[in-house]
Amino acid sequence: MTILYTSLIVHIIAGLVGVISAFALLIGLLHRVPKIRSLKIWSVITFFSFILSWATGAYYYVLYYGKAVKPVILAGGAPWAHKIVMEAKEHVFLFIPFVAFVIMVGIFAAPDAILGDRPIKKSLAWLSAFVFVLGALIALAGVAISGAARQ
Amino acid sequence: MSVYSLLIVAHIIGTILGVGGATFAEIFHVRAMRDGTITEEEGATLKICYTVLRIGLALLVLSGFSFLIYYRLTGQEELLYSEKLWAKMTIVFIIPINAILFQIRKIPTWLATAVSLTSWYTALILGIYHDVSHSYLEIIGLYIVAIFVVAFILHRINIHYALLREKKPETNKT
Repeated sequence: MTILYTSLIVHIIAGLVGVISAFALLIGLLHRVPKIRSLKIWSVITFFSFILSWATGAYYYVLYYGKAVKPVILAGGAPWAHKIVMEAKEHVFLFIPFVAFVIMVGIFAAPDAILGDRPIKKSLAWLSAFVFVLGALIALAGVAISGAARQ
Repeated sequence: MSVYSLLIVAHIIGTILGVGGATFAEIFHVRAMRDGTITEEEGATLKICYTVLRIGLALLVLSGFSFLIYYRLTGQEELLYSEKLWAKMTIVFIIPINAILFQIRKIPTWLATAVSLTSWYTALILGIYHDVSHSYLEIIGLYIVAIFVVAFILHRINIHYALLREKKPETNKT
């Protein structure tokens, strides 16, 4: 049980760190002259946080959620929390680490183009905004799902 | 010290840094704009305020979600469906969205500063008062009204300084 709880805690905290660093990345990219070193650091933190959140979330989901939490939610007062919110969350969350990876590669591969305000800077900013907003919504979805376990 | 006490301390520190950062950012901004321009030194001071504010936001979010984990692990999941909690989370989510819109100049300064200041104070008030009996929509409605009240007050302060700025050359002449 301790490993399961640890995986749940790491899943949530690592996901939040990913969302916060995606926000820092976005603000950094919106500066007129971005600091490339900061962008590199934030992009690495974003990517690895989401990977960690992904792996620990999968561990918790496969070994515990499906057997112990899902039946409780489906039998409770808010079955939509699993049928709609969780189903959406687990699919959408799958591609966030990939997008975070693309951002990281873009920043490491094209620092001069970012400094030169080329279109790639805008594209990376859009991707960071996408990761930030989606990550934040997924965090809120997690709260709704956890709360439904008692509804 | 228990985990719960540590979370409370972290949450309070995050709120203090956020509310303090937002308040001083506004004070320094109004002060800097008294002569109509922001100097390099004033810009650097504002930057420090924004950094403090963002550290506060990160601490607030991390400790806030840690509370939710605590509720989940101690069998208090019903608290996660509190309307006050969802109103607070919505308002805290608006803070970074507002910062992004301000950064890309998609929101006027008067509205962005009012949203930032009101959001932080609303989060503080919601955190202090445990017995908030209002619904989600009522809290958000009051919050929107408060944004425009704060915007009006800030507008009056700016007009006051603009009038002083206009009077100043006349005083110098005499």
